[in-house]
Amino acid sequence: MLTTTLRGMVAHKLRLVLTTASIALGVAFLAGTLVLTDTMGTAFQQLFGKVSAGTDAVVRTEASYTASEGVGTSRSPIDAKVLDEVRKVDGVRVAEGSVSGYALLTDNDGKAILTKGGAPTMGYSMTADEKLRGDVELLSGERPDSPNEVAIDATSAEDNDIALGSTIKVLFQGPTQEFTVVGTVGYGDEKDLGGTTSAYFDTATAQKLVGQPGTFDTIDVSAEEGVGQSELAERLDAVVPEGTEAVTGKTVAEENSDAVEKDLKMVGILFMIFAGIALFVGAFIIWNTFTMIVTQRSREIALMRAIGATRRQVLRSLLLEAVLLGAGASAVGVGLGLAVAKGLKMLMDVVGFSLPSTSLQVEPRTIIVSMLVGTLVTVVAALVPARRATKVLPVEALRESTPGGEKTSKRRAFIGLTVLAAGVAGMLSSLYGGVTMKAFGLGLVAALLGVIVSLPLIVRPLSALIAAPMKLRGMPGELAKQNAMRNPRRTSSTAAALMIGLTLVVSMSVFASSLKASFGEVIGDKTNADLYVTSSSAQGPGFSPSVIDAVEDVPGVETVSTSGWGMARFGGEDTTYSSVDPATAADLMKMDLSQGSLSDLGKDTVVVSKATATSERLELGDTVESEFAATGKHQLEVVGIYDSKGWITDNYVISIEQQNTYAGAQLIASGLVKIAEGADLDEVKDAVSAALADHPDAKVLDQDGFEAEASGFIDGLLLFVTVMLLLAVMIALLGIVNTLALSVFERTRELGLLRAVGMTRGQVRAMVRWESVVISLIGAMSGAGLGIGIGLALSKALEDEGITGISIPGPQIALYVALAAVAGVLAAVGPAKSAAKVDVLKAVVTD
Amino acid sequence: MTTITTPPTYSTRTATAARAENVSKFYGSGDATVTALDNVSVGLAAGQFTAIMGPSGSGKSTLLHMLAGLDRPTSGKVFLGDTDISSLKDKALTLLRRDRIGFIFQSFNLLPTMTAAENIILPMRIAGRRPDDHWVASIVETVGLSGRLGHRPSQLSGGQQQRVAAARALASRPEIVFADEPTGALDSRSGAELLGFLRKAVTELGQTVVMVTHDATAASYADRVIFLADGHIVDEMHQPSADAVLDYMKHLGA
Repeated sequence: MLTTTLRGMVAHKLRLVLTTASIALGVAFLAGTLVLTDTMGTAFQQLFGKVSAGTDAVVRTEASYTASEGVGTSRSPIDAKVLDEVRKVDGVRVAEGSVSGYALLTDNDGKAILTKGGAPTMGYSMTADEKLRGDVELLSGERPDSPNEVAIDATSAEDNDIALGSTIKVLFQGPTQEFTVVGTVGYGDEKDLGGTTSAYFDTATAQKLVGQPGTFDTIDVSAEEGVGQSELAERLDAVVPEGTEAVTGKTVAEENSDAVEKDLKMVGILFMIFAGIALFVGAFIIWNTFTMIVTQRSREIALMRAIGATRRQVLRSLLLEAVLLGAGASAVGVGLGLAVAKGLKMLMDVVGFSLPSTSLQVEPRTIIVSMLVGTLVTVVAALVPARRATKVLPVEALRESTPGGEKTSKRRAFIGLTVLAAGVAGMLSSLYGGVTMKAFGLGLVAALLGVIVSLPLIVRPLSALIAAPMKLRGMPGELAKQNAMRNPRRTSSTAAALMIGLTLVVSMSVFASSLKASFGEVIGDKTNADLYVTSSSAQGPGFSPSVIDAVEDVPGVETVSTSGWGMARFGGEDTTYSSVDPATAADLMKMDLSQGSLSDLGKDTVVVSKATATSERLELGDTVESEFAATGKHQLEVVGIYDSKGWITDNYVISIEQQNTYAGAQLIASGLVKIAEGADLDEVKDAVSAALADHPDAKVLDQDGFEAEASGFIDGLLLFVTVMLLLAVMIALLGIVNTLALSVFERTRELGLLRAVGMTRGQVRAMVRWESVVISLIGAMSGAGLGIGIGLALSKALEDEGITGISIPGPQIALYVALAAVAGVLAAVGPAKSAAKVDVLKAVVTD
Repeated sequence: MTTITTPPTYSTRTATAARAENVSKFYGSGDATVTALDNVSVGLAAGQFTAIMGPSGSGKSTLLHMLAGLDRPTSGKVFLGDTDISSLKDKALTLLRRDRIGFIFQSFNLLPTMTAAENIILPMRIAGRRPDDHWVASIVETVGLSGRLGHRPSQLSGGQQQRVAAARALASRPEIVFADEPTGALDSRSGAELLGFLRKAVTELGQTVVMVTHDATAASYADRVIFLADGHIVDEMHQPSADAVLDYMKHLGA
């Protein structure tokens, strides 16, 4: 049996290549994701390990709380006096305080040096002791040791031609200052920390500019020779005051890498979802292929049964073929995975998430998991068709059978519609009923499965609809339509693979488009602003409050209303909050309070959204417990409830003044500008722009400009998702090639007959091409329909979160569908060629 | 059956509908060369029913394929009317088959996705021409398929399928109809019906029909029988009877 199986596989080389590719691509994505996340993890761990390599113990305040998301723990600063206590401890060779915070470098022309993909711009203190710096090393120049000196990361220096000795401005939360560049810094083999720009100051300067005078973030300790890390940490822990703790350097390094791993896990899961989609689509092609193999071989199988093969042997032979195919394809996939990992890394670089490089990490786990998953997916997909093969009766060996149609059953309709209904219900309940997003995912999968099951039922009407214009193409168009309709199950499962990709792409487009429309609406209708002052990089954290002072001084500017945001715990839940200027928010941000008044928003008070007021049963005068990392717990009185979300969408809103008290001095996220009556908008904008020349951390935009910037950002994300899904679409196209190739093979005699009675090669090619177009359009159109539905549901469900504008990007979706048709034509090139080459004689002569 | 009132009109009317001149066909090369046809010359008269007979491997089917433009000779020339079809390119040859030749094969004559009616007008639809409805209707009536036009091939018996094929072959009014063992897969009654129909097409419509067969009874429907053996034409017989053909075939050792 094994030799028959092997020979059968080798005999159909094209089929072997296509089916291998359809599984291998999915496995490659999976393996690539695993390799990439392992590589990133290793790289970051090396990096953090090195950075804190020279630190034996760290003294810090105990965490007030650990955020459940994001990079771990926020702590309040430690009193600088503790340093003196620490230095007295036996076994301490040297101890220094360290601080870090926001610092934005500028280039020689005074323009901000922006990072890609939201990497932070940081300022650090540089310890005097070299060992305490760990792997942070001066590549050139020397350590900054006076208030006017700075050392910067080598990447920023090289990319912007900043020479040692030149003077650059550095922007902080507080006033901007000029510094002389005295050194460049590297990290082991790296010239920057994962895309971050870094500025190093002496400790006192850093305390003043990026921290708080009289405090440190942590106190880093190096032990005397012969004193172990834990021993040192224990001794330190005994003397440090209440609310502070001492831990080993190793612990800190581990905490850091854990936090990074947690963040990378999200990236890994994201990629894993796309790998899963690719594998799911690949499974369709396997299913399809095996179904066709079984049909084609039914005479062969019947013959084997007639001469005494048992059902079990038939099943085993087919499953063996699936195992061989799956394992072979997975092996190819693992190999390709290395290339995929490199490609994904490049994609991340392009998107702006640059990663420290290290050699690609291929763990045995990656190979084992990829091989198992790939093989399992193949075998599972082949299982149903293989079982069908066992039902072939021996007598069928004697029958002359033509590949014909099949009947669609009521049972299929029932099952399909039930699963679809369950899926839709699941999605809706998660969107509107507040059930988790996991339920949404499951619902989505169920809805897709439901559609896939019921798709054969609508293949006929859909083909007829799509092929209506093709009638103009004469007989080849007509025959193409009939061929697409004759085997609805095959056509639909081929089209379904494409449908899945299109559904996801289109739903994302609809969602993105609604997001853009809502944003436009917010800017257009939900503020009274004429101009917008924002961070100079779209993903920047914000700008210094001094920017607002500069803008307010511009003639023609009447009011500037600022807002900020942050993460804290309200009512026991980690959430983002907004901060506003109570005097101007009502007007410029159109914050309409249904109860209470914004003017009451001051010390220890909060305004909550109506949704939260309802869900948390809050009324005016109630207290909400808040907890800030820097300052701990505060009881806030509810002084207002606001109804309409617009510019401000967070559920908890405090005043900017209070934010600075609770969370420490903060950057401003945005400033809304209202111009004086009678002032010319363009003139004021130019004047603000001129005033911002000295403030490279901010820029001014008008309504259109702001909208365009937001759209650009959303488009970037959409592009990323689309590129990721492209792989699934590519696999689906391989599936179309495969189905067409097998159909052509199956219809050799028909093709011969057509050629004999006068169909030209060109007409035969056109026939196959049109069939391919019909199949792709079935997939594309059902995908587009489903995608629009899901996108709308998703947008509608997030109405409370501010997605109020619903928009379907018609031309874009039409373009996707048109591209699918073109892809259909391309997929048909090979099969059409072989169909045209059919030997008339062999086809029509009975042997 | 009714008589057919509109006789077909031919664009090129010649006494010889098709002819082969010194046609040879070899398969393979070197020591493995097989000679299917060896320098065969033959002319087929217009308006006649010609049967080509011979034992298996005699080259009778090969000769038919050459004459019908389904295959090309290794050497020699083939004419359809005045057209040298052995020199035509694939496209021209295809169009010639479509417009000037009708085919009936032993089996698999019909497209399974199309109804009988659609199958009958297939060559004209491929050509993008409107079929002559009256003519098609009269053909359909002659072959006795009137009630079955909406059926698909899988719903028809073998004999009915072959009659659909015959109707298709005649529907486009070809210069010549080639039939390759048309009764090979039929029971004797269905076979007799089909042969009777072909005979009628020749007698009443002046249609030219060329048929390959190894069945003496089938050959007896023809005006002329050509005998092939080992790639050569060895003899011919006019107005044959089944017994005479059978005797001759025994003589050939088939």
